Amino acid sequence: MFDRDVWQEIFNTIKTNKLRTFLTGFSVGWAIFILVMLLASVNGMQNGFLGQFNDDATNTIFIRPGTTSKAYGGFEAGRRIQLKNEDLEYVKKSFADDIEYLSSRYYANVTARYKSETGSYNVQATHPDHQAIEKTLIMSGRYFNEADLINKAKVVVIGRKVAEDLFKKEDPLGKFVELNNLSFRVIGVFTDDGDDNAERGIYAPVTTYQRIYGNTNNINVIALTYNPTYDLAKALEFSGKLEDVMKRRHKIDPEDQAGLYVWNYAEAFDDISSFTAVLRGIGIGVGFLILVAGIVGIGNIMVFTIKERTKEIGVRKALGARPRQIINLVLLESIFITALSGFIGLLFAWMILAAVGPMFQTPAFSNPSVNASTVITATIILIVAGVLAGLIPAMKAANVKPIVALSDK
Amino acid sequence: MIEIKDLHKSYKMGSNSLHVLKGINFKVEDGELVAIMGSSGSGKSTLLNILGMLDGADSGEYTLDGVPIKNLSETKAAQYRNKFLGFIFQSFNLINYKSALENVALPLYYQKVPRKERQEKAMQYLEKVGLKPWAHHLPSELSGGQKQRVAIARAMAAEPKVLLADEPTGALDSKTSYEVMDLIQQINDEGNTILVVTHEEDIAHMCKRIVHLKDGVIVEDKKIEQVRAGQYV
Ligand SMILES: Nc1ncnc2c1ncn2[C@@H]1O[C@H](COP(=O)(O)OP(=O)(O)OP(=O)(O)O)[C@@H](O)[C@H]1O
Ligand SMILES: [Mg+2]
Repeated sequence: MFDRDVWQEIFNTIKTNKLRTFLTGFSVGWAIFILVMLLASVNGMQNGFLGQFNDDATNTIFIRPGTTSKAYGGFEAGRRIQLKNEDLEYVKKSFADDIEYLSSRYYANVTARYKSETGSYNVQATHPDHQAIEKTLIMSGRYFNEADLINKAKVVVIGRKVAEDLFKKEDPLGKFVELNNLSFRVIGVFTDDGDDNAERGIYAPVTTYQRIYGNTNNINVIALTYNPTYDLAKALEFSGKLEDVMKRRHKIDPEDQAGLYVWNYAEAFDDISSFTAVLRGIGIGVGFLILVAGIVGIGNIMVFTIKERTKEIGVRKALGARPRQIINLVLLESIFITALSGFIGLLFAWMILAAVGPMFQTPAFSNPSVNASTVITATIILIVAGVLAGLIPAMKAANVKPIVALSDK
Repeated sequence: MIEIKDLHKSYKMGSNSLHVLKGINFKVEDGELVAIMGSSGSGKSTLLNILGMLDGADSGEYTLDGVPIKNLSETKAAQYRNKFLGFIFQSFNLINYKSALENVALPLYYQKVPRKERQEKAMQYLEKVGLKPWAHHLPSELSGGQKQRVAIARAMAAEPKVLLADEPTGALDSKTSYEVMDLIQQINDEGNTILVVTHEEDIAHMCKRIVHLKDGVIVEDKKIEQVRAGQYV
């Protein structure tokens, strides 16, 4: 099939129809160019998304209580679930091997005052582990520690914006700030990369706040990171187990999605993967639709050349060419023209992306590029396209009656 | 070599049909050189096409070298054509983008002869028709007579049992016609069976037997004294 004579035939038809071959080849090349650009853009988006995630710990899981939507275990639907310190202890004991860092969160809204400056802020009362979970960066001073927790110390770590608003030019470290008229010592100031809102927060030891609010043992959220060596499958398995155990503990129907939320970053990762997979599918679909124009073009041209070569095909048949050999010749020619033009389009796209791709470094879009899977996708599409384009012309050629070679004088 | 019995063929032309061959009976022995004559439209080409398996008969029997030719698939017909038959056309029918040598080698390609062997054999046949120096020329660079000689070399290359020529000299002047007939006679002298359709009396008399067709039947079939073309060349 791939001997020299077949190639000679193909080059000859291309040579005798240079302009026509170029024009249709161009449409295929253009289609592949667009296809590759689309796929590269999807890659760029994916790179952007993943880049954003790398800011936070990507192995984080949050457990948030909700309100049940199903009756279960003797309880009616609509029951509010409340997490308590015991839940944290329970998780700690049950999953000691799976957990890296573990902290509770207790939320409070406060009015803060320093001298004549006041402001309204959110306090997140946590365990010391929370610093690692949220990747909180300390600018000056320190985060609170186990001792502060045990002593229920009235200390706070404030965000950079809080410090600016309340303390102006003063150094807040060691100063006392009033939160709802209770005095707290500032032991640290934190920043958060590019997120001004997070810098309007205040962290305090959870025990301190629980005592202030009537010695409660309620908590709002359990936050944890799991063993960082876990892969996606293992992470999902762990969060699944966590959800089951917590639902059983609180007598929530395992199917009840509203009673308790276990939110896993890995799942979000998974969602992004499937989101970009959908985008990639759309890209391939759009590229293929554009390619259809090229396919029709090449098919059209080839039907034309077959018509012109009717006599030649008749002569070949009179000399003993089998229908299969004629079909192969036409299909191969079609695949060759399609593939060649396609790869030229691919090459152009690749060169352009190599030149300008690294210039894109925004959060939502970074370094769009051609990877191996794009090239493989394009190749498969091109061969399929070549076969499709050559199908009708090949049938036409195979149906040529050799008698035309004789009768046509 | 060839035997046909009560061969009928008609062409459908819209609602009415044209009965072209109305019961042909005829036999060709090994090594014969037969001229088929008749006025235009008498069915000469139709007969030759059926003999060449390029067209099918409506009824009747056809046996070629002992093989009954009937209801062949396209692939089978292609194989038989390749093995049994060589064609020479009035309009040469060379492939215009292939050199003389490649044209001659084409039937060997379809016989799956390896490339090198194919080229050697094709060159031998080109030498035989006196065109070795023109082997690498395209058909457009050859004269009519040279083209027909390339076509003859091509028909011979596959070493067929029968050569079928439909007005091989129809497009040539008389001098070149005689050169071509000289070649055909030489090939026949080597023992090849050849059928030549022609309008021209002098060409017909260079064969060994003349079959006359009229209104779809054979009206005359006679052996003749062969006129050698060599004396006019
Ligand atoms: N494919 C066809 N369809 C319809 N009619 C045909 C076809 N081929 C030939 N005929 C008709 O059949 C008759 C015989 O044609 P054929 O070509 O055999 O004649 P011929 O003897 O070779 O004539 P010429 O000397 O002009 O070549 C003619 O009337 C022709 O018009
Ligand atoms: Mg004729």
